[in-house]
Amino acid sequence: MDIVPAEEPAPVIAELNPDNSFAKNVCAPLLRDAQNADGGWGFHPGASSRVEPTCWALKALTSLLAPGTLDGDAIRRGRDFLIAAQLADGSWPSTSEEKTGCWVTSLACWVLAGESEGQKKYSEAIATGLSWVCGDWPRDSGWWQRTLRRLSSAKQHAKHNDAARGWGWTPGTSSWVEPTAFALLALENQDSSQLPSLAQKRRKLGEALLYDRMCPGGGWNCGNPEVYGVAGEPLVIPTTWALLALREYPERRENIESVAWMEKNFSSIQAPGSYALARICLAAYGRKRIEETANANDFHVRNEFQSNIAVAAWMVLTASNPRSWLAAGGKN
Amino acid sequence: MLRNRTLIPSFQRPASRVIIRRAASYEQELGTLIYESLVEFALPVKDKVILLKPNLVGLDPLGVMNTHPAVIAATRESFLRLGASQVLIGDGPAMDRDTEAILESVRLREFIGPLARIFVDLNIDEIERVPLATKASRLKELFMPKTVLGTDLVVSLPKLKTHHWAGVTLSLKNMFGVVPGSCYGWPKNVLHWAGIDNAILDINAAVKPDFAIVDGIVGMEGNGPIQGTPKACGALIFGDDPVAVDATCCRVMGLLPERIKYLAAAGTMLGHIKADKIQQVGENIAAVRSKFAVVKEFSGLSEAA
Repeated sequence: MDIVPAEEPAPVIAELNPDNSFAKNVCAPLLRDAQNADGGWGFHPGASSRVEPTCWALKALTSLLAPGTLDGDAIRRGRDFLIAAQLADGSWPSTSEEKTGCWVTSLACWVLAGESEGQKKYSEAIATGLSWVCGDWPRDSGWWQRTLRRLSSAKQHAKHNDAARGWGWTPGTSSWVEPTAFALLALENQDSSQLPSLAQKRRKLGEALLYDRMCPGGGWNCGNPEVYGVAGEPLVIPTTWALLALREYPERRENIESVAWMEKNFSSIQAPGSYALARICLAAYGRKRIEETANANDFHVRNEFQSNIAVAAWMVLTASNPRSWLAAGGKN
Repeated sequence: MLRNRTLIPSFQRPASRVIIRRAASYEQELGTLIYESLVEFALPVKDKVILLKPNLVGLDPLGVMNTHPAVIAATRESFLRLGASQVLIGDGPAMDRDTEAILESVRLREFIGPLARIFVDLNIDEIERVPLATKASRLKELFMPKTVLGTDLVVSLPKLKTHHWAGVTLSLKNMFGVVPGSCYGWPKNVLHWAGIDNAILDINAAVKPDFAIVDGIVGMEGNGPIQGTPKACGALIFGDDPVAVDATCCRVMGLLPERIKYLAAAGTMLGHIKADKIQQVGENIAAVRSKFAVVKEFSGLSEAA
């Protein structure tokens, strides 16, 4: 059996312009065709509707609308799906069978508030959602857990600042990079009347957590910058979301190092999800040119994106200026 | 049709059989070796749908942390040769949600061809609520991928590795990867809060992997499962009792299975860990034994300790 690595194509310098044709001609139709009768999207065409892929599909299709365009029917039905999926406590569950909310609550609030029109129409849903987000404290950094750790004879092997508090994937667990970034994106630039009193404090704590969890030299992984004295390896997806959530601070050393890490590693990205998000990240930080060895079409030929709706949506989002869709309230 | 999830306590089980085969490198022809080992178990695979669950944990250009693609491909070919109607490959990596990036980094497509209709990302599969009968952890239920629950035969296909929190990661710990990240995140942190050892028991009692093949050609020692050191062992370990397979792997690694919490507990409800209940076939353990280093917290696992 031949296990000689395939020859890598030579990188080419490409303009970091919006990747319009592939996104609009291949990915957007894929998203439109995959919408379920209930208005939501599954992770794959034909799969049951879930909150997360519905959020990505909505974000993507909304980004294609010209400014001032009225909502398309698909977008209206998608938002209606989200409203119907919200739980009584204001949170959203990962699946309709689940009765407890989780990290997708941030995504739903972010997406519903994506336009000024949406912010008015869905203001109550957003307000209760953000209230749940601000009340969802991670368990690991609470007073009791920190005291237990201090009293424990077991050495702590992960290098963390226990005072930093972000958000977990599910309630009652630890803080991690991506759910913290999503919560920060949901809270940023919201209409102040929508925000719970804790919002500002939680934002500052969340930002501190992201900076605390950065890998040495720049970039983020899921949230383990160092374990047993060994530096963690950054990954594209968490680095993208952390940098987008922290884009208010482009001059900070951590941001500069992390953007540099992304630029340096762009040409070695091997999958479409990371490729799309890295493009978005670098565009959001004003980069104009990148060195790449494959484009969106090349990635599609390999494994058809594994029919992943989230990946198709991220690819659509590369077709527009990220500043136009990143701000939750439509502000930049 | 959902898989039969009835548990048979270990004391009611006949002795388990575990086969150890030498395999010096990934470059050698593995297909015949794996096929002939599977034939010895006479698995009922004709016209059945098989799910191979490798251990894909992260970007791995050097090929040291994930199940090697040569082993995955040869196993897939062997099950097809045995008459399986379909052999899927599925995993839900725990630390990185870009599963396709991991697949590309391990070069699985080079060995198997386009993966669009062969590989299932279990992190984003359709799901079903599963009550946890064993209640070893505080978790009363978990959502599980329908591909795992609906397939005829689940094959755990891990790499031979030490683990800095669980002691070892073999065919039982490998099943953490069936728990969907879309519900529980990356990592699946709720399992850590529930207690890793207990969660391993609950997941395996719920899924009941039918067969295990451990890639021990090159394993990992020390600070595994990601940041450890490659350790050549030159063996593949097969069995239809994953507990017995893992216990055998521990002995191959120079570790005491009864001192690994989840394995000791699994030995009372899911399979056999006692050497006198495991019929060893193929190579002797002593012939392939290669002492694996562990992190300081697990120094008590070593046979010499």
